[in-house]
Formats: sequence, structure tokens, C-alpha cells
Amino acid sequence: MYGKTVRRRRMVLALLVVLSIILLTAYFGESSSGGLHSVQRGFMTVVSPIQDGANAVLKPVRSAVGWFGGMLKAKDEANKLRSELAQLRKSVVAERSDRKTLEEGRQIAEVDSHTQLAGYRRVAAEVLVASASIWYETIDIDKGSSEGIAVNDPVINGEGLVGKVTAVAPEAAQVSLITDSAVKVSARVAGSRQAGILQPKVGNPSDLLLQYLSGKSKAAENDLVETSGTVESPYESIFPAGIPIGTVTSIESESSYAVNVRPAVELHGLDHVQVLTGGPASRSSLAAGLASLPSVGGSEGSAPETGVAQVEGG
Amino acid sequence: MSPSSIQGALPMRIAALSIAVVVIQIGVLSEVTVFGVNIELAPLLAAFIGLLCGSIPGAAAGFAIGLLIDLALVQTMGITSLLLTLVGFWAGRLREIRDPQGALVPVIVGAAAAGVAFVGYALIEFLLGVDAPVSLQLLRDIVLGVVVDSIVALPFFLIVRRALQGSMPEDPRRRRRSRRAYSTGGLSPLSRS
Repeated sequence: MYGKTVRRRRMVLALLVVLSIILLTAYFGESSSGGLHSVQRGFMTVVSPIQDGANAVLKPVRSAVGWFGGMLKAKDEANKLRSELAQLRKSVVAERSDRKTLEEGRQIAEVDSHTQLAGYRRVAAEVLVASASIWYETIDIDKGSSEGIAVNDPVINGEGLVGKVTAVAPEAAQVSLITDSAVKVSARVAGSRQAGILQPKVGNPSDLLLQYLSGKSKAAENDLVETSGTVESPYESIFPAGIPIGTVTSIESESSYAVNVRPAVELHGLDHVQVLTGGPASRSSLAAGLASLPSVGGSEGSAPETGVAQVEGG
Repeated sequence: MSPSSIQGALPMRIAALSIAVVVIQIGVLSEVTVFGVNIELAPLLAAFIGLLCGSIPGAAAGFAIGLLIDLALVQTMGITSLLLTLVGFWAGRLREIRDPQGALVPVIVGAAAAGVAFVGYALIEFLLGVDAPVSLQLLRDIVLGVVVDSIVALPFFLIVRRALQGSMPEDPRRRRRSRRAYSTGGLSPLSRS
């Protein structure tokens, strides 16, 4: 009897472990259109209405817990904001003399960004679930392919760039945040045309590192960092130009031209985001249209000097 | 309630409890940070089911909870299942071999379960070559995660025990009472002979 129990116990354990390893191996080995990925997307489709309901029901609980957590952090936040305010006042005074030039630049940048975003359709979405793991910086949203959302669509909110869509179901989608180690963004310091690659800093994923900048880039603390975007295929960026990403907090290394960047968006506690859909196709057709015009003289002049291979994505 | 119906109710209760905990985990706790880390109830639940019900229910529940989490969060399937299977089985074996009774047992088991889950996850991700931050930050998150899970372990254990009470294979309190009775000699079969 005892021997039978032991055998049964060992058999169950071995079965479950082998099953897990088979799942792990099959999932890791297959492409994103494989069977297990499809099962996950199917599961996401089925549970997204449940998650939606649970999200609504549990929102007061989350808010209450968040309120207590917020109270604990309030003092630190206040001190940090005071010091930031002092720094901003100093920078405003220092830059007042150049205000006119700055305003002109800003207007150009705004026009630029509006032109870039004009080809996109914005889909507003509510955040359903945030990943609980320190390994995945992802959120699930309540809109999916039925709204025209596709993989690699950029995701923004009122403060700046949030991330990109990495998985889509009919009524839900998964968004990898810019702090996810799998996401890399072509970016530049605002006002500069020298682009670099922005990715989470190794060892501190909530801090971003903009690297591979050329020597011509003169970045300073509190400078705005934005998406650089490119329209030249095959290096077409999935992110349109001019979307704010964050501010420079420090210069990482003068020799390697890398700067630390603090995200403009408060990525933890996101409630609503916007997905930019349909962009790359429109921009491709725009670029093709420009190239076909003999009087334009080529589209190179309108494209930023990236000087790097396009490595966005994961 | 007959013993067979008690045994039959156990899987249902474990399933309901697992689904509820996973929903709370991804719906509420994923957005709440304590000391900068999230509270992870999944390893605790697998360990406590093992501790209360034995190694086979512990392993099976761990596998199911892990699968549910990997599916819901669109993570690499199989990693969480593998780790929580081992956690549930280990806690169940602890019960079957040692049968620990101290008040701090849930805290120690919870801390060990969280530690195994976090470190195991890190190791598997490294083995799979995932480009992830390797640093003191990760170590800090693992240590703080274990500390936070240890803090919530005792109240969570009481909730799990309350939820499973009446359908467990053997009520721990009843087992303790009978053991005490044996030690005094009152009900020992040997004393009757």
C-alpha cells in the first residue's frame, strides 16, 4: 500500500514536470503564430470580458490600496518635486533670452509631429491588467484587432510614448512598455537630428538609456528626448517622430555618447492609453509619393540622420 | 458529510480558490507595490495547498495556477507551472514527512516558496537567454519580494485554511489533538491492550 502511494506520488510529479518542460520547450521554440501562442490569444479573447468586469469591480479596492501607498510616498514625492521646481525655475531664467528661438523651434517640432501623426488613427483604450512580474513590463488593454489594432502599433498617452503592441486578440491587446527589455526605440534629443537607440538601462529597467548618439549631439540635463522616426524603408521606424519620451537626467558617458533618460509617462498606474493604428502604411505611401515627384529632389532631406541600423522591436 | 464527498469537494474548492487568487493577483495586486515590489500570492497559494492537503494536490494546484498565470499574462508558458508544481510538491512532502506545527511555519514556508519561485524564475529566464536586467536591482527585487510575501504569508495562510476547511484530507487541528492524546497515553491503542 505504502509502495503504491509512493509510486503514484512520483508519477504525478514526473508527469507534471515533464508536461511543464514540454510546454516551455514548445512555446519557446515556436513562432508568434504557433499553436501555443494562438491558445494564449484565444484565452485572452475569452477572459478579456471577465478581466474587464473584474477590473471595474476591483477598481475601488485598487484605488483604496493605491491611496495608502500614495500617502506613504507623498513626502518623498513632494521633496523631489520641490527640487525639480527649483531646477526648472533656474532653467527658465537661463533660457529666457533664447525664448524666441526656442518658440520657433518648438512650433516647427509641433508641426513636424502633427504631420507625422496625421496618418494615424487614434484608438482610445482602457488598461485592463498590468504584468505582475518584474521580468515583463507589459499591460493588457481592452481594444484589439476589431478596432484595427495590429502588432507593433505605437501606444501613447497625454504625456508621451508608452510602448508598442506586441500581441493582439479581437477584443484585447498586449502592450510592451518602453521599460520592457524587449523594446528599443529610435530616439533623439529634442532639437538635435542625431538619433540613437533608447532602451531600458541594464540593472534598472525604470531608467532608460539613450545610446549610440553621435558626437555632434549636445545633450544636457533636463533636455527633452523624443522619438526620431524615419520614413526611409527598409529602416522605417514603427514610432512616428516627435513623440516625447522623457527628459535627460544625466550624461552616462561622454566618450560613448549615452545619456540617462527618465520616462515622461508614469508607467505604473496607467488607466487609459491611445493606440496609433494604420501609420506605417500611410507613411510608406507618403514616402513613395514624395520619391515619385521629380521636383522634390529625393526624400533624404526630410529624413533624420540616424546613422544606426533600425533595431526597434524585440 | 461522508469522507468521499469531502474528498470530492477538495478539487472544487482548490479550483475556485486558485481562480479567485489569480484574478486578485492580476487585477489588484499587480498595480500595488509594497517597498517597490508586487505581492505575489501564487507561490504562497501553491505552497499552502501543499502544506494543508499534501504533495499531490499541492503539485497539481501549483501546475494549474502557473498555467493560468502564464496564459493570462501572455508569458512564456510552462515556466510558472514548473516552478509552482515543485513548490506545491515540496510543501506537501514537508507536511507528509515532518508535519510541522509551529505558528511560524506558514511564514517560513511562504518565504521559502517565494524564494524558490523568484530565484527559479530568474534562473530559467537566464537559461532561455532572455535579455533581462542582471544586477543588484534584480537581487533587491527578489529579496524584497520574499520579505513582502513573508509578511502576508500568515494572514493568507489563515484565509486559505479557512477556505479549504472541511474538505481537507485530514484536519490539522484534529491531527494535533489526536497526537496530543497519544502522547498522554489516553487513547493510544497500546494502552488499551
